[in-house]
Amino acid sequence: MSGFSLLEFIQQIINGLTLGSIYALIAIGYTMVYGIIGMINFAHGEIYMIGAYVGLLVITVFGLLGVDSISLILLATLAISILVTGSYGWTVERLAYRPLRGSPRLVPLISAIGVSIFLQNYVQIGQGARDVSMQPVLTGGWRFGPEDGFQVYLSYMQVLIAVVTVAFMAGLSLFIGRSRMGRACRACSQDRAMANLLGIDTDRVIALTFVLGAALAAVAGVLVSMYYGLVNPFIGFLAGLKAFTAAVLGGIGSIPGAMLGGVVLGLAESFASAYLQTEYKDVVAFGLLILVLLVRPTGLLGRPDVEKV
Amino acid sequence: MNAFNRNVLSAAVSVVILSLGGLAHAEETIKIAVAGPITGPVAQYGDMQMIGAQMAVAQINAKGGVNGKKLEAVLMDDVCEPKQAVAVANQIVNQKIKYVVGHLCSGSTQPASKLYEEEGVLMITPAATNPAITQQKYKMVFRTIGTDDQQGPTAGRYIAQTIKPKKLAILHDKQQYGEGIAKEVDKTVKAAGIKPVLFEGINKGQTDFSALITKMKKDGVDFVYYGGYHPELGLLLRQSKEQGFDATYMGPEGVGNKDISAIAGPASEGLLVTLPADFSTNPENADLVKVFTDKSQDPTGPFVMPSYAAVQIIADAITGAKTEDAVKLAEYIRQNSFDTPIGKVAFKENGDLKEFEFVIFEWHKDATKTPVK
Repeated sequence: MSGFSLLEFIQQIINGLTLGSIYALIAIGYTMVYGIIGMINFAHGEIYMIGAYVGLLVITVFGLLGVDSISLILLATLAISILVTGSYGWTVERLAYRPLRGSPRLVPLISAIGVSIFLQNYVQIGQGARDVSMQPVLTGGWRFGPEDGFQVYLSYMQVLIAVVTVAFMAGLSLFIGRSRMGRACRACSQDRAMANLLGIDTDRVIALTFVLGAALAAVAGVLVSMYYGLVNPFIGFLAGLKAFTAAVLGGIGSIPGAMLGGVVLGLAESFASAYLQTEYKDVVAFGLLILVLLVRPTGLLGRPDVEKV
Repeated sequence: MNAFNRNVLSAAVSVVILSLGGLAHAEETIKIAVAGPITGPVAQYGDMQMIGAQMAVAQINAKGGVNGKKLEAVLMDDVCEPKQAVAVANQIVNQKIKYVVGHLCSGSTQPASKLYEEEGVLMITPAATNPAITQQKYKMVFRTIGTDDQQGPTAGRYIAQTIKPKKLAILHDKQQYGEGIAKEVDKTVKAAGIKPVLFEGINKGQTDFSALITKMKKDGVDFVYYGGYHPELGLLLRQSKEQGFDATYMGPEGVGNKDISAIAGPASEGLLVTLPADFSTNPENADLVKVFTDKSQDPTGPFVMPSYAAVQIIADAITGAKTEDAVKLAEYIRQNSFDTPIGKVAFKENGDLKEFEFVIFEWHKDATKTPVK
């Protein structure tokens, strides 16, 4: 291989951050649910997949209607996808997890796997098992660097992904940190029984957690369908696995940890693909996870006192 | 259970058994399993296989069937997954079906073929091109398509002699089919003195290729060969165009279907694809092509005619050999030649076609193709 190039390095950081933003958005859903009820919601990847489908459908409908304002399409698609996906999140919690509250830990876990399989097949029946694709809505970008040499390319879509991700993360942090409901969330995550005794409706808090997680997954789904333009009923599995890894890497239960974990994972994959071989990118990503867990068993930003599953 | 109940029960059971026997007798057919992906990411190819095989069955039945019996196509879905393919193969064996047209993906054909060989089921794949499938010295396995050691060198020679790229990259999806053909291309171009600057695997189902594209762009790659299927290549093409990486891409017949243009859009313009010759343009097939188009089916897919041919060969062999015994039929097929929509076909000892030609096509963004050689 030829030598090191700074411009290429910058490009790889851009690539990694874009990928990492998506992982981070999905990872938050895992981490929030874990933080509050100590359960891994294995159906979360499927929730993201539903978000991507809704996003693609809505954008296609807008395309058919001839709407060409990007900001309108984006806002409307995000709103609709969050609404639909959020209600899936709520329903899943209500039907598959709430009746099992108080049962041994493995039971809701199995239920989660069941929901995951159900949702995958449900979408397969409803939408077909094939790839659904869509042409890019937002094209173009900026180029930097010498005219005749390697140019760094930053697409509008990548900027959009970063901006939307940061905006939703900031919104979430504000909500958790400042609002009444956010305080209730934090209380539940510290001690659910005690929070209940003090008059917090914990069931509502848990439902809210699922809805919030699903909403962020919907955002990730919409961004992915705009960026890659290809969805099928099986994308949730791999994305879920990666996001779960990101959540564990950052410290499961910690929201800033999930954000950091996502970005680290995205960068690791990008660099592995760039400076080693593309086929090793997952090896590097999961190798990094093992390494971090060996040194810091609670993840990068995890609290040492968390001990749930 | 008292005596009355028992009598009623046995009467009911015998009625059911009798009626089943009656049904079986009334519809004695020759069953041919058509096994391929009906669902999953490469189901488009399964479509080609199914319409080709079903058309052959319909036309043969319209002419009175085989030895007075009707053919019946039994569709089986293997999703192009090796595990599922073995399950499907077991099902076929258990249902005592003696002939299989399939499977489609090399990765699923290989494990299934072992079962067919052991159980004496005649298998003709219209689509699996990996050479290893016919290298097992199996007696029951045939194919009505070329192999990657024909397709790979065709692509490799074209790259080395016509394209003469300055910097060549070869990618594959680490599957039996994709990696196999990528290695063949690699071998051919190396023999012609071109050393690829990059030979790498990507992950099946991967969606983000930006890091890889950046790397190729930095290395100044101007031609990329991709061994694999269309979903990954479609995304590669699209993301390449977006990053301003404008190398020409080339792929095997696994990338050549309409979906590549649906995924990659304008980026699919100029993609090179090695495909079996387009049998639908052969004047001798004009009547058949018309029947397909009348039913609004597309006869131009690379696996449609080979599937048709596979069914026809089975039917012709049954007529010619005057037996339905699969093992004897395999012997008969090996020794005779057949007139089919893919031309006059004869088989080598290992079950490969004696002759098969791959042609290089240029793909267009509206999902049409034009031959370049």
